[in-house]
Amino acid sequence: MRLLIVEDDDAIRTFLERGLAEAGFQVDAAANGLIAEALAVEGVHDALVVDLGLPDIDGLEFIARIRDRGSTAPVLILSARRSVDDRVRGLEQGGDDYLTKPFALAEVVARLRNLLRRHSTQPESSRLRVADLLVDLVRREARRGDRLLQLTTQEFALLEFLCRNAGRVVTRTLILDHVWRMRIDPATNVVDVHIYRLRNKVDVQGVAPLIHTIRGIGYVLKLL
Amino acid sequence: MSLSFYSWARSTAAWRISVWTTVGFSLCSAAAFVVMYLLVARDVQRRSDAWITGEATVLLEVAANTPRDTLDTRLVQEVAELASHEVIEEGRPNGQPRQSVFFLFMRYGHDPVWVGPEPRALFMDALAGASGQPGLPSSLTVPGHPLPFRVVWDKGPAESRLYLGFADTAANAMMHRLVERFVLIWCAMALIGFAISAAGAFRTLRRVEQISETVGRIGTEDLGRRLPEPQADDEIARLSRTFNRMLERIQRSVDQIRTVTDSVAHDMKSPVTAIRGSLEFALIHGNSEDWRERVADAVDKLDRLSQTLNTALDLAEADAGALPLKRESLDLGVLVGSLIELFQPSIAERQHKLHYKAEPGLFIKGDPSLLSRTFANLLDNEVAHLPPGCHIALSLRQADGYAEFALEDDGPGFPQELRARVFERFVKGQHSSGHGLGLAFVHAVVQAHGGCVMIDDSSSGGARIRIKLPMTMVSA
Repeated sequence: MRLLIVEDDDAIRTFLERGLAEAGFQVDAAANGLIAEALAVEGVHDALVVDLGLPDIDGLEFIARIRDRGSTAPVLILSARRSVDDRVRGLEQGGDDYLTKPFALAEVVARLRNLLRRHSTQPESSRLRVADLLVDLVRREARRGDRLLQLTTQEFALLEFLCRNAGRVVTRTLILDHVWRMRIDPATNVVDVHIYRLRNKVDVQGVAPLIHTIRGIGYVLKLL
Repeated sequence: MSLSFYSWARSTAAWRISVWTTVGFSLCSAAAFVVMYLLVARDVQRRSDAWITGEATVLLEVAANTPRDTLDTRLVQEVAELASHEVIEEGRPNGQPRQSVFFLFMRYGHDPVWVGPEPRALFMDALAGASGQPGLPSSLTVPGHPLPFRVVWDKGPAESRLYLGFADTAANAMMHRLVERFVLIWCAMALIGFAISAAGAFRTLRRVEQISETVGRIGTEDLGRRLPEPQADDEIARLSRTFNRMLERIQRSVDQIRTVTDSVAHDMKSPVTAIRGSLEFALIHGNSEDWRERVADAVDKLDRLSQTLNTALDLAEADAGALPLKRESLDLGVLVGSLIELFQPSIAERQHKLHYKAEPGLFIKGDPSLLSRTFANLLDNEVAHLPPGCHIALSLRQADGYAEFALEDDGPGFPQELRARVFERFVKGQHSSGHGLGLAFVHAVVQAHGGCVMIDDSSSGGARIRIKLPMTMVSA
């Protein structure tokens, strides 16, 4: 997976380059819109990370321009503005995503992966399988081995999201955004309690645990 | 000198006001005088006309009734002279012939009878050129006489003709004096008027000047200064009061900003110190397991810090009136319902009991994202601050055009000393680990939606928060 980072702030660009390379991406970076546009229209990138406050061009305009020139790669927008304006929210509906600064690297990685997954041309399977966990999206049921899991609607949605991102770390805000459709940042551990309950049903005693907490970052569903 | 006067005159509105007032006032009074003058002049002319027609009739009667002999012309002349003496003349020394009356009686075969100023030939010439109906007065200008004469003529017996002319010098002199005096009084009036309006305007505008000087001296450092507020209730006093109110508001905002920046700085110090300490410790000592623990701890603290920053920035935006609301029609029940689903496990984990009661169909126009955060804030508070095993009641109902969200519990309630200030920034309970911005944020968002927040005690002595949001009219 090859990414293009468009960010003029040296510290953030360097940190993203390193962090995303560490996360297994191939990373190109540009500090201004001019260079970025030349790189983006080559069409070799699977996703773009674009800062809105570029020195030479407005980030949204940049996106519009590369879209005009045929680029279809999904974009993760980084905004320093707290109040994300309607135009950015509009982009979110167009398949792109946004994050406001300050953000966590894990958040960037998680959102990029999510974007790439949604953008992949492979047909979505109606069943998700991780080790002996099987989630049937059509019948809305989940099994661990032969055991049918008794899940609430929310627990099922949460498990589905974790499975879709199996092997990748997902953050709490990403979970809130995608499972509850809320851009909130609760001060208490509401998400953790949901995960805890789900884990009690999925990872019962005697089976290998699948849901793991990554302290300070989020959760991952995988067989260790 | 003239240049500096010009620039001074341009810089003061008082000057312009008084000049224009005076010009307007003078023009109006001059117009009034002209109208009056014309009316009087017409009256004077009517009077002279009445006199000459009357006298002409008398003289004709005398001429007609006098027996024809050599003396009759003499008689007519006597009568005419007698009549001319009725006329008062200005500035004529006694004994001089009258200049303002003439009388001419012509008969075939007789010398014309002339009573009036000499040389009479001038009058004869002027009369020869004149036309007019018999018995109707008309004006006649005679060379050498500044005033035109009013003249009437008529036919007498035996083809005789009688002319009578009169120039009302007395009235004319009176009119002249009237104009002279008016001009004098008019000038005085204009001067006095100018003086009064200038004094008034300068006095009034001096107060404005004082206000602008005082306001100009107020810097950000001495926002406590106020303009003197006069007793009067005129425009300038209102201006002063408006300025003072504005200064009051500015001072409040500046104070609040100072509190916020101070608090942010203060609140950031301890987490930053702790984070630094954690990382330092990890650097110096420890094995990799230690590292993980401490770095994770630092990340947690940083997350809290950025949360605080974000909320503080949201509040700053709300204060500037720049909280962008992306309003859409939404069902409050659905929004609160999904939040409850999210919070229910956390609430249950702390052995609280949540009772939720909602009237259906509470539609409002609001920003779903901001409102979710608002209600999440309140639920966060319940989860974080209630001792285990409390009852929480959440209800949604309609109350005269408003959707009312009420959240009450039987916990310890709000500390009395905080009650009045809960919506201020960085006000929090002694043992609270929050950033003290939550309720301020709630308040700002609800206000931006045109609603209100009320805080009091619940029936069980705990805290009660009610939020009212204007509902959208749903047509039945």
